[in-house]
Amino acid sequence: MTNLDHGKFTRVTTLFHSLLALDVFLLFFTGYAIMFNSELWWLMTLMGGATGVTALHRIAGIGLVALIVFWMVLMLISPTGRSNFAEILPVKEDIEAFLQDVQFMLGRADERHPHARQFAGYESDEVPLLSYVGKGVVAIFAIELTLLTISGLLIWSKTGLMSYFATRTAAMAFVVFHGLLGIIMLMGVMFHIFEHGMHPAFYPVETKAFIPRSMIPESHDDDEDHDGTGIERLELSPSWHSVSTVFGSFVVIGIVSVLMGSIVREGYPVPRELVVSGDLTNLLLTIGINIGIFVLFVGLVLSMYGNVMRVRWEKEVQRRQERETVADGGETRTDD
Amino acid sequence: MSHETPEVEGYSPISVFISALVGIVVAVLSVWWASGFGPFYETLFRVGPTVEGGGVGADWVAGNTIPALDFLIALVHAADVILGVFILLLVFLHWASFRRLAARMRHPGEDETGETVMADGSGDGGER
Repeated sequence: MTNLDHGKFTRVTTLFHSLLALDVFLLFFTGYAIMFNSELWWLMTLMGGATGVTALHRIAGIGLVALIVFWMVLMLISPTGRSNFAEILPVKEDIEAFLQDVQFMLGRADERHPHARQFAGYESDEVPLLSYVGKGVVAIFAIELTLLTISGLLIWSKTGLMSYFATRTAAMAFVVFHGLLGIIMLMGVMFHIFEHGMHPAFYPVETKAFIPRSMIPESHDDDEDHDGTGIERLELSPSWHSVSTVFGSFVVIGIVSVLMGSIVREGYPVPRELVVSGDLTNLLLTIGINIGIFVLFVGLVLSMYGNVMRVRWEKEVQRRQERETVADGGETRTDD
Repeated sequence: MSHETPEVEGYSPISVFISALVGIVVAVLSVWWASGFGPFYETLFRVGPTVEGGGVGADWVAGNTIPALDFLIALVHAADVILGVFILLLVFLHWASFRRLAARMRHPGEDETGETVMADGSGDGGER
């Protein structure tokens, strides 16, 4: 098949990615139930009211610290981790890839730059471990998670914070800071879900992060000299057009809404000015923010679906290996 | 072949184990520190920053008087807006790219159309 070159994560990475996603989703659901508590009242109620939500947020917070430190240590002490580090640093081609993407969108380029591609096809070696978007995601999520963890721990330690800053209001400013900071990550995650869920070749979810490289057979011997990526050979899913249009709209509405929400809200519970509420704008904002939460929920489902795919793939690989050991009479299997 | 593919061999179990251990220890320690080296089941439930919880901010003076923190919040606000607009641009960029890519793929139900260009120029859309 055309996407055999697509496994790029190790087994540990796929597991880590799934756990991090689950944890971050839980942090989003609980954190924004607090920040947008009037828009997401149902979410707040669903997770046990104010007490339940804050407790869950903190438990997920402990999990996040554990996951972050786990990953940092693993990257430092293992040769694989150290060798991968160079792959996440941005290079000149990444900027070119972004510019070429703009041209591709406008119809002035025929192909996407290799550093922008998710789909490799024939010329698989042209595609780096991470696209420019992937590198951006790694960088911004790393910065965000660090800042969120530090500010989160500081908020947790109210007394500690108040010994650094004299007033309780100052301590509360960190709550605002923490919430507003999370908005950037929230918007980024929505885009991330769109990018890896709605690619026409990988719809409904890109398996790169779920099926580890160790399970991908290395077979690049079948191509003579094909040009291009071979995407012309793939069949588009019948539902792609409508689903990607609806979901894309939801992503845009979700991003715009939490962005507006962060401006209007100023961060509960220390508003710097009076929040105007009860009008049409507020109603639209409520709908929009709920759509944003729905986008996250879709992401959660897609993440689970990816893991189901991995289990299915594992079974298939195992079955194939068993069949090969039985039929060792030298009969070549033709399944290219 | 793998001149651009980085080393993605599996991580050794011992590395994974050590990392996991350090991760859990640091997480527990940091939270223990945050709760003032006390039993943290109390602080887990103590703070309820909501209206009905009568929580954290309820009796606190509204308004922030420290200029540095005020600036910090304004800065994150600006970052929210700037990065938000950029992320929207990226969404539209990929949305459009995906539509262009999808247009090149074989569409279900139609065997061959004029606009579908085959990779090898054969134009035979019906081949298995």
